[in-house]
Amino acid sequence: MTREPLPDAGPPARAADLRLAGAWLARHDLAGARPTPLLASRLAVRRRARLAAHVILAALILVSALAATSAFGGLQPHRPLPLLALTASVAGLLLAQSLLDRWVRRVDQRAGATLSRRAAHPIQPGWRTVLGQPYAVFAVATFAGGMVLAGSALAVPEPTVRQLAVVVLIGLLGATAITAMQLRHLLRFPVVAEDEESLTADVIMRVEDARELTTPNVQWSLPVVLFGTAPGWWSAASVAYLILGLVACVALHARTPSCATVARRAMSLR
Amino acid sequence: MIVIDAASPVPPFEQLRAQLARQIQDRTLAVGARLPTIRHLAADLGLAVNTVGRAYRELEEAGLIETRGRAGSFVSAAGEEGRERARRAAADYAAVIASVGIDAGEAIRIVQAALTSGAAAPASS
Repeated sequence: MTREPLPDAGPPARAADLRLAGAWLARHDLAGARPTPLLASRLAVRRRARLAAHVILAALILVSALAATSAFGGLQPHRPLPLLALTASVAGLLLAQSLLDRWVRRVDQRAGATLSRRAAHPIQPGWRTVLGQPYAVFAVATFAGGMVLAGSALAVPEPTVRQLAVVVLIGLLGATAITAMQLRHLLRFPVVAEDEESLTADVIMRVEDARELTTPNVQWSLPVVLFGTAPGWWSAASVAYLILGLVACVALHARTPSCATVARRAMSLR
Repeated sequence: MIVIDAASPVPPFEQLRAQLARQIQDRTLAVGARLPTIRHLAADLGLAVNTVGRAYRELEEAGLIETRGRAGSFVSAAGEEGRERARRAAADYAAVIASVGIDAGEAIRIVQAALTSGAAAPASS
């Protein structure tokens, strides 16, 4: 990336994209590296994909809330229609995420095809490198906590609470499936790099994306649909879950090495 | 890191084979390290699957890597054993040179001549 941008190094990058790529490099202690059109276009595609992924998760929360409202406001508490609609929507959102990942992969593949030199790792960075054990433990614990919380609401005798708990369970499972799919994509999609710096940038992108995936936005938002209808102990447990998760998330971001440090370590081992 | 230069006169499979072989020999890749699958490395480097397959096959024939079915390809301990054998042979050779009184420069020339003429091929014994 220290070389002049090559005319054949990918689709023409806009000046704004190049500027943003420069800022991204500086943020990751790679200020000495020059942003190439390849990096600029990859980061631009990644920004769009992340925005779309956020829209997908927002849609999941909205659909869950709609299903909850429908279940709560319905005359018959055991109507299966909102739950079926929610399940179908989750399947649709999973499909949308899969298409999004495929689009990113195709754009990267096209950018890679224009390079005259290609670089790769002789040993693939696995989940321990890309995600890291602390983030993996946090993700599993958040998922388990959310499931236990929603599962415990199933024990409440009130039918409306039980139906809302099913809505939360479906939403949580859907969000987890989407996250797992994104993580799988991050670990498997081919590297697009031409030298050591672009290979380091590739690892940084993966680490950054993997860490962002573990932020439990949906897990923290969904239990809110049970507030007001669930018993007091459940609401207290839900608030405790949220606060504990928040504290763990902040501690994790503060105490773990930066994405650039992780990437450099990974590169030095390979 | 592995770099494949499409503009190089050296064929891509040979670039890949040579780089992996060097990294195994200089222990950048430790014994037992798992290499990427052929398909994955081909996608990473923008090469055909057959090209990567050929490089892996040649490394396997040289005893540098071993394929364990579906588990993948791993850096083999055989490469390390071969190096150890070479070290032992060199020590024996040095002992012979010392006993017959040949100087070091001539001893090295003898080895070089043997290597270039192919006389260093495995003996029938």
